Amino acid sequence: MDREERIWFGVLIVVALVFNVVTLSPLVPWQKWLLWSRPTPDERVSIAFENYEIRLPAEKIEIRAGEFVEFVATSRDVTYGFGVFRPDGAMVFQMQVIPGHENKIVWKFDAPGTYDVRSTEYSGPRHPEMFIENAIQVIP
Amino acid sequence: MTRIGWLEKWTLRFAVVGLVFLAMAGFEGVLMRTDLAAPGALGGMEAALNRIRPVAYEPTPAELFYGMLTVHPVVGIYGFAYMCVMGAFYFLVPFLLKKEIRHKRLVPVNFWLQTGGVLTCWLSGFFGLFNSLYTLYWPLPVSYDRVPLAGSIAFTVGAAVIMVNVLLFAFNIFSTVLSQSNPHSYSFGQFLSSAFGIPRLRRWLGLKDDGPNPNYEELPVFIVAVGRGSIDTVINAIVLLSAGALILVYGLAALFKAPLDPRAIDALVYKNWFWWGLDMVADGNVLMYTAGVWYLLIPLLVGRKLYGEAVVRTVILADLLISLGVWSHHLLGDRAQPLVMRLLSGQFITWGEFFTMGLTIFTSLMTIWLARPVKFTPALKFILGSIFGFVIGGTAGLIQANVGLNLVLHNTQWVIGPHAHVLLLVGLGMLLFAVIYVLIPMLTSLDIRSQRLVNVHFWAWLVGALIMTYAMGLAGSRGMLRRMLYENGLYQPYMQVALLGALLLAVGFVAFLVNVVGTLGWANVLSLVVPERWLRPQSGRAET
Repeated sequence: MDREERIWFGVLIVVALVFNVVTLSPLVPWQKWLLWSRPTPDERVSIAFENYEIRLPAEKIEIRAGEFVEFVATSRDVTYGFGVFRPDGAMVFQMQVIPGHENKIVWKFDAPGTYDVRSTEYSGPRHPEMFIENAIQVIP
Repeated sequence: MTRIGWLEKWTLRFAVVGLVFLAMAGFEGVLMRTDLAAPGALGGMEAALNRIRPVAYEPTPAELFYGMLTVHPVVGIYGFAYMCVMGAFYFLVPFLLKKEIRHKRLVPVNFWLQTGGVLTCWLSGFFGLFNSLYTLYWPLPVSYDRVPLAGSIAFTVGAAVIMVNVLLFAFNIFSTVLSQSNPHSYSFGQFLSSAFGIPRLRRWLGLKDDGPNPNYEELPVFIVAVGRGSIDTVINAIVLLSAGALILVYGLAALFKAPLDPRAIDALVYKNWFWWGLDMVADGNVLMYTAGVWYLLIPLLVGRKLYGEAVVRTVILADLLISLGVWSHHLLGDRAQPLVMRLLSGQFITWGEFFTMGLTIFTSLMTIWLARPVKFTPALKFILGSIFGFVIGGTAGLIQANVGLNLVLHNTQWVIGPHAHVLLLVGLGMLLFAVIYVLIPMLTSLDIRSQRLVNVHFWAWLVGALIMTYAMGLAGSRGMLRRMLYENGLYQPYMQVALLGALLLAVGFVAFLVNVVGTLGWANVLSLVVPERWLRPQSGRAET
């Protein structure tokens, strides 16, 4: 390798290291519990997907801010997605819901509010209908 | 009328049909952009087209949208990109190796099978409303309560034709590279061994040389890239053929009233297999073929030897090895996928592409830099555009191929906008345009007619693509999903801007077509599709 190419290779190494270290670190808030600490959840919420329906355990899921909740999603037919969104459409988190598997994610909501649930994975032409407004209520 | 040889004529035919497929994919892309920007605007056109669809009911706008969306990437990639690549490689490989194509009869076979396969897939979406999308996630393609059975069968037949044809093409290229018309000829096993760097590893370990082997240190760099990239092309075709065959078996069983249980196939295992195969294109051959074409064209255009040529062959080998291990970056949203695979394959190995493309781009730009002053010919402009596309699209890809950030980026417009379409339209699209701008004068001895139209093409295409994908990316960062039709108009302003970008892309494409036809002349263009004697009845010489 020529000198200039070696310098460039060194730059690539530094960029790769910095980006990966930062994004794996707790600087990305949810990495604290998804990757590093793995806390025991305070509550478990089961959601079932079938035939374009998202079946929540209650009309509205109530969760306390600051508590760890494990969402467990299952599908009885095709692949769906479990996505939680703020009222302005911004995504909070998501996961794929693969049939034949328990699909789990632990989450901690920091602030009270209401959140919508939408399927994030295409499952057929009625995919856009899979939306529940104000599905999750986070209380102080 | 310009006389061109048999192979040159077939190369141009591949390019012309490839561009027709780009026009189709682009037109349907604009229709889908319109659907997103102004829901209901296509109602009149849809009603008119529904009259010719052989369905017993009125399809919903969503069914029509998802039918178009399913075949859009097939037409764009296996239609436009693959046909241009086939045409270009059929000319460049024998030209550089100074030998004939090994099996000439396969050239028209490849042409007709690829065209027929892509059209069959397109028809399955247009008429059959096949809607399971190109990702074909199990068991959606065999869920006939939501996916039309006839469309599913037709699509998999078309896909099978394409994949078998790709294997025939790869066979012909490998045969040509390995054939006995050169002083040395090699077996396929020796070729594979050299492609994976085994002889070099054996020498490094002090082991006895098991030669003779193709010496990748001596072959033209472009041939090294084609050889190694085509291994991924073959793997991709085999994997997609197997997935298609599985879907077809289920379809035929359902057709004959003996349906099979979709639960017999684990959806997660299928997804791993499918993405391993598909990434042979997305993270495999596209990177190696692109690198090879940059390494071939840049020295040709700037009149300087490739910078760092000794290193690039190793970089291409690294690309091949890395491409085999990155597929989990498509499964970062699957919590059921083991974390170690998401971290290693999904993130760390994927960053290997950062190093290989980083070095490839450095080599390419240094070659141009050291050759100053350079003349910015049409091809060189488009190659620089292509490099820019890989920088932006690749960066977007690395941001989402991340265990942490994928959580809020997966399945959003970020993935399909700043990543996929920047890479496809700017990275790959501009590269193929560069190849066409080089090959036309090379094959026909005709200069590109209008520099002004080249500039219109360049700027309209580049700026249009960036406007469209930037708007999509902004929407994605604000939560807009891909593959979603929003009823409440939540992201409509972004989609309206994206539509403007798409229309600008179309302007660039029209400028290109006008320039190409103006350069070749209608007689030459028509001579690609009709016998010459129909154009010049007095010539007295039959087309060969």
